[in-house]
Amino acid sequence: MPILEARQVVREYPMKAETVRALSDVSVSIERGQFAAILGTSGSGKSTLLNLFGGLDRPTGGEILFDGKSLAPLSAWEMSRYRLHSVGMIFQSFNLIPTMTARENVSLALAFAGLGKTERRRRSLELLDRVGLSQRAEHLPSELSGGEQQRVSIARAIANQPQILLADEPTGNLDSNRAAEVIGLLDEMRQRDGKTIVLVTHDHELASRYATQIVRLKDGKVVEVGG
Amino acid sequence: MNFADIMALALRNLRQAKLRTALTVIGVVVGVAAIITMVSFGIGLQRNIIGQAFARLDAFTAITVVGADANDLLVLNEGRTAMDEGGADDKPVGEATPEPSPNQEETSRQLRRARRMLNDETIAEIQQLDGVRFVAPIVTFTGYTRFNDRTRFQLVAGAMPGNEPRFKTFLAGTGFSSETGDEAVVNENFLSAFTAEAFRQRRNNRGGSGGGPFQAAPNKTDAERQREAQAVIGKEIILLSPPTGQAPGAGDSIFGIPLLNFPSQTPQREATDPDESRFERRVFRIVGVLKNDGGINFNPFGNADFYLPMGQAKQLRLANLSPMERMGGALVGQSDEAYRAIELRVADPSRIKPVTEKMEQMGFRAFSVTTQLEEIERIFLIINSSLALLGGIALLVASFGISNTMIMSIRERTREIGIMKAIGGSDGEIMRIFFVEASLIGLFGGALGVAVGWGIDRIANVLANQWIARQTGQAIRYVEFFSIPWYLWTGAILFAVVISLLAAIYPARSAAKVDPIKALRYE
Repeated sequence: MPILEARQVVREYPMKAETVRALSDVSVSIERGQFAAILGTSGSGKSTLLNLFGGLDRPTGGEILFDGKSLAPLSAWEMSRYRLHSVGMIFQSFNLIPTMTARENVSLALAFAGLGKTERRRRSLELLDRVGLSQRAEHLPSELSGGEQQRVSIARAIANQPQILLADEPTGNLDSNRAAEVIGLLDEMRQRDGKTIVLVTHDHELASRYATQIVRLKDGKVVEVGG
Repeated sequence: MNFADIMALALRNLRQAKLRTALTVIGVVVGVAAIITMVSFGIGLQRNIIGQAFARLDAFTAITVVGADANDLLVLNEGRTAMDEGGADDKPVGEATPEPSPNQEETSRQLRRARRMLNDETIAEIQQLDGVRFVAPIVTFTGYTRFNDRTRFQLVAGAMPGNEPRFKTFLAGTGFSSETGDEAVVNENFLSAFTAEAFRQRRNNRGGSGGGPFQAAPNKTDAERQREAQAVIGKEIILLSPPTGQAPGAGDSIFGIPLLNFPSQTPQREATDPDESRFERRVFRIVGVLKNDGGINFNPFGNADFYLPMGQAKQLRLANLSPMERMGGALVGQSDEAYRAIELRVADPSRIKPVTEKMEQMGFRAFSVTTQLEEIERIFLIINSSLALLGGIALLVASFGISNTMIMSIRERTREIGIMKAIGGSDGEIMRIFFVEASLIGLFGGALGVAVGWGIDRIANVLANQWIARQTGQAIRYVEFFSIPWYLWTGAILFAVVISLLAAIYPARSAAKVDPIKALRYE
């Protein structure tokens, strides 16, 4: 059974004059433990698909299934629990809270899961150690390099032990060395912890180097599914 | 996310916009301080008045009974004048006026005026009633009083010999031995009003009332006070009064209505040299000096500083009736012997209600601490609510400030809210952060407002006491004008928090509705 599945997913955005169709009839299934890369140019709908997988958005038509169960009937609160426990999201612009230190940013995700203060502190330091940032725990995002910030956001994404990591152009703001480090870290998570990785990128080379499954999107449609 | 974490996040948000938070809090402070100051004044006033009632040891056995006077009888009462009622006043004692039906009684309660006159006959009748322990008319008049070689225009009251409940504590001496003795009882106010210093101060403060409801502060030791009181026992007080039986204008009347014969000059309290030839000199010896309790005294009846035996007072009152009183009384067929009010004491507090009701049935108006407390409390409920409303308006204005601050804060933190949602924060948690933020503003503002209100009260109280001391020209006992009971300050803080929460409803909901995808879109 695929851990993530999109079945005939349609996502339309009603605009003033017309309705923009970001995804039309997209069906994708991602097996557990895969490194799936969603490739496409900007405007191809790849980020839209990732947001649907991440539970940040709901499809206009079709359905998203996690572990064989549809996300459609979930309430807003249940959806927030899905985001908290089942998926971890990583963004191109890191999306760390600028007024919080690296540790506090990781800790915030643990706080939403209801962990106590001492437990949060211990866990967040452990997670930062995991991504090689134990020395930078008390630094603000502005005091960290791009690569370091992205590693903090990976630590935050895995904080509540989700089965899936969803990364939206995580290397877009990084140079090639840092990019390789970050993707390497994601791959390590997959190999060591059995996480399923869904990577949205427009970088073919990067995708072909790590991905076990490639989905190519164009104009909101799947044009190629391959390995 | 647990409450402590939400609290920590809210505090962090407030700290990040210190100036904005401070300004918003100040808005709340102003509103709460306004409520505290105004309502504490209302409650303080209420306490002072009620406290005055309680301060009287016999407060719960005392009834003041008011009879009809010219004004009452001339004014339309329940659609008729008393004179239309077939001269109820002329009915022999015992023949009670018909009782109004309970329904009528209820609706006319506020409007009801006394229909019967109080005179020696009715007093005798009341004396016989079950549960009545003491009855005495309230007999007061003003006259030129000479003491210590100084003359003042002074209020004089009559008091009963023996156990007179209005005489509470004697510093020296005793009460009257008979109704007709040439005796006088005075209190400490009287003594201090006739000192050289009091005269000088009053002269320097023209317009100063020289007393009023504020009684002199006992700034001496008890031993000193007793010594001073003892020293005046046996001293003479001279009362200059129009010759008895020959009151001014008494002879000039048309059909029994005396002609108005106003004195050419209204008497001044400080009139130093009345033309003694026109007056009869009456000499009284001080037999007792009463202790001054201090504080505020609002009782309009019979709180004189100078008492004469009842018989003497009655006689002198008639000689001192003003032409206006004389004419009014004559117009309604009231004899000069009628009293405006009487003091009544019941045997025990449980008798207050039945005796009060009986008095009303008999056609008088009766006031007791019990009835007064009820009315005072009702009046103050209105006063305090109005004051609270004024303060509440200030707080309402502040609530717009809170809304504004929250909306600004949410605009600025849209991205942060988006991040929280993306990593698993629920709408409810986001909403709670902002509600807690708002209630913290309310709580800080409320607590600070209470402190500021308290501070204003303290300063105003000192200034008010200084002002009164200047106006009255004498040192008065320190009066506490403000009162902040626990329910006022807790209520004010709670109100501030509730207002803040209401102000946060819209902002918090819009925070919860932030679309994470839009919020996280690249800048």
